[in-house]
Amino acid sequence: MIDRRSLLLGGAGLGAAALGGCAGFTGQGGGEASRGQTTLTFVNWSGDAEKAASDALISRFEEANPDIRVETQTVPYADISTNIDSRFQAGDPPDLFRVSYIDIGLYTSQGVLLDLSETIGARAGEFVPGLYEAVVVDQVPYGVPHQIDTTAVLYRTDAFEAAGITDVPTGLEQAWSWAELAEVAERLKGVTGADQYPFVYNWQAAGAYRWLSWLFQAGGRLLTRGLDAAAVASDEGRRAVEFTQRFFTEEWVARNTSTQATTYASDEFVAGTAAMAFVGDFSLPTIDTGADFEYGVLPMPRDVEAASDLGGNAVVAAADGPNTGAAARFCAFIAEEEQMRRYCEATGQLPTLTALTETELAFEVRPDLMPTFVEQATTLTAEQVRQVTVPAFGRINALLGEELEQAFLGGRDAAATVDALAAAVDGALG
Amino acid sequence: MSAPSVPGVRRQGRGDRSAPLFAGPVVLLAGLFLVLPMGLALVFSLTEIAPLSGEVGWVGLANFATMAADPTFFRSLLNTALFALVTVPGSMAIGLALALLMNSVLPARPLFRTVVYLPLVISGVAVGLIGSLLFNETSGVLRALALALGLPVVPWQSSGPAAFASVVLITLWVRVGFCMIIYLAALQAVPPELHEAAQVEGASGWQRFHHVTLPLLGPATFFLLIMSVIYSFNVFDTVFVLTGGGPGSATEVLGTYAYDTAFGPARDQGYGAAIGVVVFVLTMVFTLVQWRRSRAARDGAL
Repeated sequence: MIDRRSLLLGGAGLGAAALGGCAGFTGQGGGEASRGQTTLTFVNWSGDAEKAASDALISRFEEANPDIRVETQTVPYADISTNIDSRFQAGDPPDLFRVSYIDIGLYTSQGVLLDLSETIGARAGEFVPGLYEAVVVDQVPYGVPHQIDTTAVLYRTDAFEAAGITDVPTGLEQAWSWAELAEVAERLKGVTGADQYPFVYNWQAAGAYRWLSWLFQAGGRLLTRGLDAAAVASDEGRRAVEFTQRFFTEEWVARNTSTQATTYASDEFVAGTAAMAFVGDFSLPTIDTGADFEYGVLPMPRDVEAASDLGGNAVVAAADGPNTGAAARFCAFIAEEEQMRRYCEATGQLPTLTALTETELAFEVRPDLMPTFVEQATTLTAEQVRQVTVPAFGRINALLGEELEQAFLGGRDAAATVDALAAAVDGALG
Repeated sequence: MSAPSVPGVRRQGRGDRSAPLFAGPVVLLAGLFLVLPMGLALVFSLTEIAPLSGEVGWVGLANFATMAADPTFFRSLLNTALFALVTVPGSMAIGLALALLMNSVLPARPLFRTVVYLPLVISGVAVGLIGSLLFNETSGVLRALALALGLPVVPWQSSGPAAFASVVLITLWVRVGFCMIIYLAALQAVPPELHEAAQVEGASGWQRFHHVTLPLLGPATFFLLIMSVIYSFNVFDTVFVLTGGGPGSATEVLGTYAYDTAFGPARDQGYGAAIGVVVFVLTMVFTLVQWRRSRAARDGAL
């Protein structure tokens, strides 16, 4: 085995030899030896509200730890993996970075993350069990489960009034069945014009895994209990594909909002092209800034089970680097109850500490809507979390998007789709 | 390092020792940023690269064997070939027509010339974004236009052929200006005496175009053909932003597929490099064949 870096360095060496006398092209700083001050790099992606909350969190940390500075590098969500991976390959990973639960498996499985047993592990009992498991491999926690978000349904009050829909569920107990959702969609189709579809679902842009909510609602599984093979080729799997296929065949959603589309459900809702939008609570600050209409919230529909998706992110630190001690202190700080509470209240995201899930938070944006998301999050089960945090899940997510699109736009039937899905998942699991 | 030539010493045409100094920077930059990455891509195409540690394992020709059985690769190859087949002759024919128009007595020629050429100076990503505003199926400009005119609404994003057409149309919009400028320069180099002589001999307008103008545009056509084919085989940014290769893989081209494979969730950089090598070989073979044909035609004409 050769290190790719040494190959690159070998190549660069040739170039450097050729450069010869032209030394000092870009003299690497290097000399900025710390005078008691450590600077941590933190790679993050964020919307405006998240950025402000994250900056405030960092200021509080720096105040409490005057010897440490945290420098945030904000990159677009779509580029986060490329950014992080290339920095690891170059042997220069950031001290800290944010990673979604569906991508974390890749990093934990490669042993590149800092062992946080002493800080986070010591407080394992304080986190919601299923969520804590998302950052743990072989009993070692490799990150802070910082926040979660989950999907519920936003609806336009004007469209509901026009369609005469008055029986709007407010809690999980009254959640619509699939048949009731179908009926509502049909009624909305009757009143919304050619420019507005009954709803939009948030499975675009690396969100294909959110289709699993339908599979879980049907009582199905993506992976076997051993997490080593696909379990989607089942009656439940076929039912979930058949029902979600109807979104397209019955024109409940626009055809350009399929799994591989480049649009975002929240943008479509703000633009007024959908009467209802399945979106995560993290989208609320952006939606609330953009929407010029009244809207409310209702829980995800349910079939034999109630289910929604595990969104959200962990903050992790690189295992190798000169500042691992400081990075571990940052991780411990953001997992403190007070810090997590303030971050979640500002961003409309949900906490992972049991103490906070049991108290009511003072959310800054649309606090009237947040209880539905909080209640919806209780439908996440540890068993579902295990299935979406396997190391290969990033790849599985991409394959889900490809295979589902063939069912949604290509007209492939449900049985062939779940078989293809199972084959793709098995391939990804190796 | 060679010393600069001493003033007063007679310069020796061929053996001027300052030549390496002038060539040096260009050779160095090309070597570092062109030849070296190409060489490394060739090396990496024979390897499997761990996504984070960057550990390289030799796999020989395994990536190429995978490719031979990969339907998405063949779909991308077919799409790329089809894309080249439509956009290359299309942009060249429209570019030539516009050049002939601009070379005639059209009023406000500088204005029209600028309007046609302008899209070329826009970055590919911006072109893709403009395209997505035009072609958006639920809120795009073309949809609004179709509704206003009572025409059927085209599913530009969710139907494979329509999405492919949107990529072709936006590419033509960009490429036509380039072809026009090159043809215009070539047209202006056609000696007017030849046309006059042909006219005296009684040649019609079409005959003059076919037998005088067209043959003299040969070098420009050859240049445009090579450049356009290379562009078509390397197309990436516009497709990536406009359609992301979808719906399904209806607009997936070799460029976007190589990128997705190497840097997408699959994180298979060795396979991505192998696709890049195939793109290189294809364009290289095409260029060589065309170059030989063009040289043979020229030698035959002499």
